[in-house]
Amino acid sequence: MNDDRTQPILEAVDLHKTYRMGSVDVPVLRGSSISVSAGEWVAILGSSGSGKSTLLHLLGGLDTPDPGRGDIRFDGRPIAKLRRGDRNRYRNRDVGFVFQFYHLLPELTVLENTLLPGLVGSRIRADRDRARTLLGSFGLDHRLNHRPRELSGGERQRVAIARALLNRPRILLADEPTGNLDQETGREILELLKREHESGLTIVMVTHDRQIADLTDRTVVLNRGQVE
Amino acid sequence: MMGQPPTPSYDSRHVYHLLLTSRYLTSRIIPLLAIAAVALCVALVIVVVSVMTGFLDMVRDSGRTLMGDVVISYPINGIPWYEDLIKEIEALPDAQAAAPMVETIGVLRMPYPRGSAKEPKMVQIWGIDGERLAKVTTYEETLMWSNIPEQAKPYVELDRIYQPVIESLDRGQRIEILRISPWENTDSMNDSQVADLAGAITNPEWIEHIRYVLVNSPETFRGSLSSDQIVLMQAALAAEEDMPPLQDQVLRDGVTLARNGQPGIVAGIHVSDANRRDSEGDYQVGGGGHWWLPRYEGALTTIPVDASGGTLEPETEILPFVNEFSSGVYAVDEIRVMIPLEVAQRMMHLDQAEIVDEMDPTKVIGIEPARATMILVKGKDGVSETDLRSSVEKAYSSFLDSVATAHPNGPAPPVPGINPSLQILTWEQQNAGFIGPVEKERALMRTLFSIVYVVCAALVLAIFWAIVYEKTRDIGILRSIGASRPGIVWIFLLYGLVVGVIGALFGLALGWIITINVNGIHDLLAQPPGWLAWGLAALTAVVLIATIIKLFSGRILPVVLGIMGTGILGLFTALVFILDASGGVVIWDPAVYYFSEVPNTIDLPEALITMAGAVIFSLVGAAIPAARAADVDPVKALRYE
Repeated sequence: MNDDRTQPILEAVDLHKTYRMGSVDVPVLRGSSISVSAGEWVAILGSSGSGKSTLLHLLGGLDTPDPGRGDIRFDGRPIAKLRRGDRNRYRNRDVGFVFQFYHLLPELTVLENTLLPGLVGSRIRADRDRARTLLGSFGLDHRLNHRPRELSGGERQRVAIARALLNRPRILLADEPTGNLDQETGREILELLKREHESGLTIVMVTHDRQIADLTDRTVVLNRGQVE
Repeated sequence: MMGQPPTPSYDSRHVYHLLLTSRYLTSRIIPLLAIAAVALCVALVIVVVSVMTGFLDMVRDSGRTLMGDVVISYPINGIPWYEDLIKEIEALPDAQAAAPMVETIGVLRMPYPRGSAKEPKMVQIWGIDGERLAKVTTYEETLMWSNIPEQAKPYVELDRIYQPVIESLDRGQRIEILRISPWENTDSMNDSQVADLAGAITNPEWIEHIRYVLVNSPETFRGSLSSDQIVLMQAALAAEEDMPPLQDQVLRDGVTLARNGQPGIVAGIHVSDANRRDSEGDYQVGGGGHWWLPRYEGALTTIPVDASGGTLEPETEILPFVNEFSSGVYAVDEIRVMIPLEVAQRMMHLDQAEIVDEMDPTKVIGIEPARATMILVKGKDGVSETDLRSSVEKAYSSFLDSVATAHPNGPAPPVPGINPSLQILTWEQQNAGFIGPVEKERALMRTLFSIVYVVCAALVLAIFWAIVYEKTRDIGILRSIGASRPGIVWIFLLYGLVVGVIGALFGLALGWIITINVNGIHDLLAQPPGWLAWGLAALTAVVLIATIIKLFSGRILPVVLGIMGTGILGLFTALVFILDASGGVVIWDPAVYYFSEVPNTIDLPEALITMAGAVIFSLVGAAIPAARAADVDPVKALRYE
C-alpha cells in the first residue's frame, strides 16, 4: 500500500472535451491534466460550468475525450482507447461512482441497489455478504428491504456509496456527494468517506465548496476547463 | 481482474435483467396496460378463429354425413350392373357399406297455396334405398319428424276422420260443394273448370269445404247425398265432437320412404317454404300446423333422358310426403327430396327393361339392366378417404372385368378415362362447392385479424417507448456501474418477452372463457337479464356520486376519469335497457346461420400460433425502444435529478 502512494494510479494528460450545443461547439475541458496517487484523496474544486463533472466522467470511463486530444491511464492502461466491453468492465470493477442525486433505482430495495454492480458483473453469492457488511458498517442494517423513497437523503447517499464500493474498486469517484444534503448530514457523509480513505481507498471528489475541499489531501482547482 | 480476456457484452447472461424485469412489471401500471393490450388482441383472434373453425367443422361434418366417404358418380345415364359393383366394393377390406342412388332434377308441386294454382318448386331428386343409405350416411338421424308435431295433431286427426267422406264424394257432389264454398271463386266457371279445380285441391282443403257446407247450408247439400254418405258425415261430425286424446304417433315412414306400402317423398326441411326456424332454432310449421307437409301429397315431375341424350315425355308421380329431413346444410335442405330408388329409376327410365325384337315386339332378345347414377361408399373406421378412394378405384376396374365376362352382350359400364363424367371422388372433393367458400372465409378472417398483431406491436412499442423515456436515468445509472449496451437492450427485450408471454397466456385464458361461453354470452345479449341492467345502473350512480365528491378535491384527473366512467357506464346501462325493451339482439340467428348454436370449441393449434405471433410481435414492438435505450448517453442521463 505504502509503495502505491508514490505511484500515480490514475493519470490524465491534456484532456480536451467539446460538447455540441445545437450548431455551436462548446469546449468544456481545454487541456486539463491530473494525476492521482494510490491512497490519495483529491478534491477537484471549481465553480459550476468549470468542467469538473465532465473531468470526473472521463476519469470514470463514462465518456471519452475528443479523439486524439488527451490520454487517461489507469494503472498504465489507456482508458479512453479501451474497447467498449473493457470500458464497461473498468466501470464495473475498477471505479465506483457516487452522484449528487444518489441515483438509486426506485423499484429496487436498499440491498438490491447495493448488489447491482455485483449482479451486472455476475458474482451473486459472495456479493450478498459483502453488501450486508457494507450496509451494516454504514448503519443501514434495519433498512435492507426498504425502497429508496422510504429513506432520508443521507441514508440514500450511504446506500449509493455502499453500491459504489461493492466490487472493491481501487478508486471512488464522487460528484458533489454532499451537494444535495444539509450541512449536518453532509458532514456525516464526509466522515464516512474519510474513514474509507483512511482504510486505503483512493478518492477523487468534485466539489464547488472550498471548505469541503480543504478536508482532502490535495485540491486541484479547475477553471474554465483548465487546471490552475 | 485485469488479465481476463475482454468480451463485448460480458453481462448479457446475468440475472440483473430478470430482477429489473420482474420489478418493472410488478411496481408499475404501464406494463399491465401492455399486458392487457396483448391479452385482448390474442383473445380476439382466438375467439374469431375458433368460432370460424367450429363453423367450418360443422359444415364439413354435415357434408360428410350426407355423402358417405367416397362417391362414384355417372350422372344421367347411370352405371349398369351396379349391384355387381356394390358387391365388389363391399368385399373390400376398407369399405363398410355402399348404397346405390339415382340423382336427377325435377319439379315438385307444393300443396300451397289454397286453390288450383299450386306453387311449383325446382328440386333435386335423390332416388334412394332408405335402409341402405342409412348404413352409409346418417340419413336416419336427419329425419325431422319422429312424432307428429303437437301443432299438427288436430289437423292429422281431422284428415283421418274425414278421409272416408272425401272418398265417397262423386264428381257432381264435388262440383256442388265447390260452388257453395266461399273460398273458391267458382261463380264465373263452367262445370268442367270447377271439375279441374276439384282435381287440383288437397284433402285438407276438401275437409274445410265439407265442414263449411255441413255447418252453413246442410239442407241444400243434403239433397244430393246418399243415405250412406249421410251416415258417414254424421259419424265424422260426431267423431270431431269428441275427438279422442291425441296419441303420439311414431313415424317410421322416413327410412322406408313409404306409407301403408305406398312410396312417398321425404323432403328437405326448407323445401317447404311454410317451415320456418325461430330464433331458438326450433322449426315452426306454418299456419299453426296447418301446412305440416306429411299431411299432403306432392306431384313430382321429371324429364327422362334416353341413351343418346334426347329427352322423352315428362314423367309425373303423385306421392305422399312421409317425412322431412334436416341435414344441417341449408343449400341441401332447400332443394333435395328423397324418393324410393325404384320410383326414381322408373321416372328416369333407368329401371330394368326387356329388350324386344324390333320386328316382333313379343320376342324378348335381352335385358336392359337397372342403373344407378351414384354409389355412396362408407369406409371402415380409421380408413382415410383417399385410401378408400384408391381401393374403390381398384374395385371399379375389377368390376369392369367381371362385367365383360358375365354380360358380354349387355351394355358396358362407363370406363374411367373414356367417360369423363364418371368420377370417383372423396366426400370432400364432391362437396368442395360448399366447403370451399367457408374455408376461404376463415382464411380471410384470419388474414384480416392478423392486423391485430400489428396493433399489438404498435401498442407495445408506444408503451415501451414511454417506459424507456421514464427510465432514462436508470439506464444512465446502470451504464455507470458497468452495464453494457447489449445488456440494456436485453433488459427491454426480456421485458417485452415477458409482457408478450404473460399477455398471450391471459389472452388464451380470456379467449377460452369467451369461446366456451359464447352461447351464454349470446343469450345474455339476446335477453339481457334484469340484474344486469339494474346492476349497471347502480354502478353508474356510484361512480357519478364519487365524481361529484371529487369535484371538491381540486384535482382534475379523478374528475375527468369519473366523468368518462359515468359516461361509459351510463351508455352501457342505456344500451342494456334498450336491448331489454326491444327484445334483445340476436347476432347468431339460427334462422339464418342454420346451426342452432354458435360453435364453442377452441381451436388449440390456431390458438398456439396466435400466442406465438403475439409474443413475436411484442418483441418486435419492444425492439425499437430497446435500441433507443441502448443509445441513451449515460452522461446526459445522469446530469440532472
